[in-house]
Amino acid sequence: MTNHASDLIVTENLRKDYREDDIVVPAVRGVDLVIKEREFTALVGPSGSGKTTLLNIISGLDSPTEGRVWLKGKPISEMKGAELSDFRRDHIGFVFQAYNLIPVLSAEENIEYIMMLQGVPKNERRERVRKILGDVGLQGMGRRMPPKLSGGQQQRVAIARAMVSRPGLILADEPTANLDSETGAALLDIMRELNEKTGMTFLFSTHDRMVMDRADRIITLKDGRVARDEIRAENPIR
Amino acid sequence: MVLRMAFRNVLRQKRRSVLTGLTIFGGFTLAVIFIGWADGSYNNIIDEFTRNRLGHIQIQEKTYFDRPSLYKTVDDPKAVSGVLKGIPEVESWSPRVVSAALAASGDKSAGIQIIGLDPEREAETTRFDRKIVRGRLMAGPGSKEAVIGRGLADILKAGPGDDLALLTQAADGSIAEDLFRITGVLSTGDDMSDRTSVHLNLKDAQNLLVLGDRVHQIVVTVPALGRVPAVARAIDRDLPDPSLRAVPWQDFARSFYEAMQADKAGLWVMLVVIVVIVGVGVLNTVLMSVLERRREYGLLKAVGTKPRHVVRLVLLEVLILSLTAVFVGSLVGLGVNAFLAEHGIKFAEGLTYGGMEFGTMRSELNARSFAIPLVTVLASALLVSLVPALRAGKTDPARTMRLH
Ligand SMILES: Nc1ncnc2c1ncn2[C@@H]1O[C@H](COP(=O)(O)OP(=O)(O)O)[C@@H](O)[C@H]1O
Ligand SMILES: [Mg+2]
Repeated sequence: MTNHASDLIVTENLRKDYREDDIVVPAVRGVDLVIKEREFTALVGPSGSGKTTLLNIISGLDSPTEGRVWLKGKPISEMKGAELSDFRRDHIGFVFQAYNLIPVLSAEENIEYIMMLQGVPKNERRERVRKILGDVGLQGMGRRMPPKLSGGQQQRVAIARAMVSRPGLILADEPTANLDSETGAALLDIMRELNEKTGMTFLFSTHDRMVMDRADRIITLKDGRVARDEIRAENPIR
Repeated sequence: MVLRMAFRNVLRQKRRSVLTGLTIFGGFTLAVIFIGWADGSYNNIIDEFTRNRLGHIQIQEKTYFDRPSLYKTVDDPKAVSGVLKGIPEVESWSPRVVSAALAASGDKSAGIQIIGLDPEREAETTRFDRKIVRGRLMAGPGSKEAVIGRGLADILKAGPGDDLALLTQAADGSIAEDLFRITGVLSTGDDMSDRTSVHLNLKDAQNLLVLGDRVHQIVVTVPALGRVPAVARAIDRDLPDPSLRAVPWQDFARSFYEAMQADKAGLWVMLVVIVVIVGVGVLNTVLMSVLERRREYGLLKAVGTKPRHVVRLVLLEVLILSLTAVFVGSLVGLGVNAFLAEHGIKFAEGLTYGGMEFGTMRSELNARSFAIPLVTVLASALLVSLVPALRAGKTDPARTMRLH
């Protein structure tokens, strides 16, 4: 496997079988992927095609049955325990489809939480929170508790939280699935803007056409394999 | 921020938290009141018992307690009195002479124990005067009057006005015998001793036994039961004669002391019940909230929280709830104890038993009635929370964050 300096994610023959009792469900069946720095890539495919599984493995939330994942040249699929959780915390931001926020913490406390784990001093935390809330268009809403925020606002807080520790890679599993398409498109625009502004790499799954259209590259999964890998002409990235 | 999260989590499920808090509060407060009350009553009983019969401390020849003998005496009771006067925590004392003898009245006879005492001092020390159930106390020295136990009166079929012949061995080796007049019958509540006791004037007994000024024991009382061991040590230090010892009631009334200790086993039974109540209540709550919040723990883990920090969060929530309950419980429990220690509960009838009076039972306000429930309640709450907390720490984010 050759690693190029600009390769952010490299997966090698990635496989994942879920075992339940005696039944083996192959969710990912041999995925080789290279994602470069600054990419803005959509992972698409029908429900059950393995998108969540793949994202979980890349993020280190789950481990592959076979194969390996490198992140910035580090074999994340081999890491364990505190090493893994520290690496993930510092290098990967993750946005789930829903339930992204800690319900007893306000929007700004949710964003601050990760920086607190990282040991960022309080003043700097405050400053970064203020700035990132502006970046996602939520200035002045920091004090709100999650139930007082709309679905789109909650997802924006989730993105702010994923980005605030400056991880380099943002993974998002169907971040717009619970939003109406307009709100979803707006969220994507914010992500796109942040991608361009900060150079962070985004890899997100979706099955929304409007969302896909905003990506530079679309990887289509089918039955746990890459069925198509398309770089879009109108959004040249390399 | 973790503390803030824990606080808000406790507040989130208000109803459940309040119910659990009440369980902890109830268990804790009951334990505080129970221990205070139990300690109070035990002290009451012990105090009444020792005060009425044996005194709190006895001064005797070193080996007298194990093997009593006519010849093991306190040779200079005056010197000992001098020492006792010098110890401010001594309330009162009374010297006694004790010896086995044979008693006869009419055509009945029985083996008895002569107890020679000073009726006035004895009244002050062990309320001797209050134990008379028939007749009166004996008059002064030389009157040759006797007060006998109720059981003995039955055995001898004798009572006030009857004659009593005593036969025994005197300290000079001679056979001593003399005739006494029964003036009173008493009941101490201890049937054993009431079947054998013949009380004489100290001086009369000393004359009969040819003891001169010597006595066998000096019974001492102190105002506060808790001070007995310390006062006993203080007396011991100052005793003029190295062959003498001041023995606290725990030693000379060993079997009574052990019975009291055994009775306190009830306390442990109650603590177990409280541990179970608190444990089940807390376990139920923690299990429920851990199950409900699996996704939240998954999220915490997914954003980089370490398992032990999730465990800490869960335990912190339990701790906040427990401490709040314990705090309120302390105010109530110690308040009740303070009130019952001050005012007590008055029995309308006034419980009397063998000259002991239990008119008012009081609680005791002490540290252990707070410390024992505190440790028990906190330990059981945290202990039962440990397993659910560890489970929360092990939450697999990849699994729990999936939408089902
Ligand atoms: N925990 C699990 N146990 C068993 N099978 C699972 C589990 N999670 C996912 N799967 C199966 O793995 C396959 C891929 O699922 P998933 O990665 O969630 O796909 P997608 O996100 O594209 O919908 C599906 O067939 C799904 O049923
Ligand atoms: Mg999915």
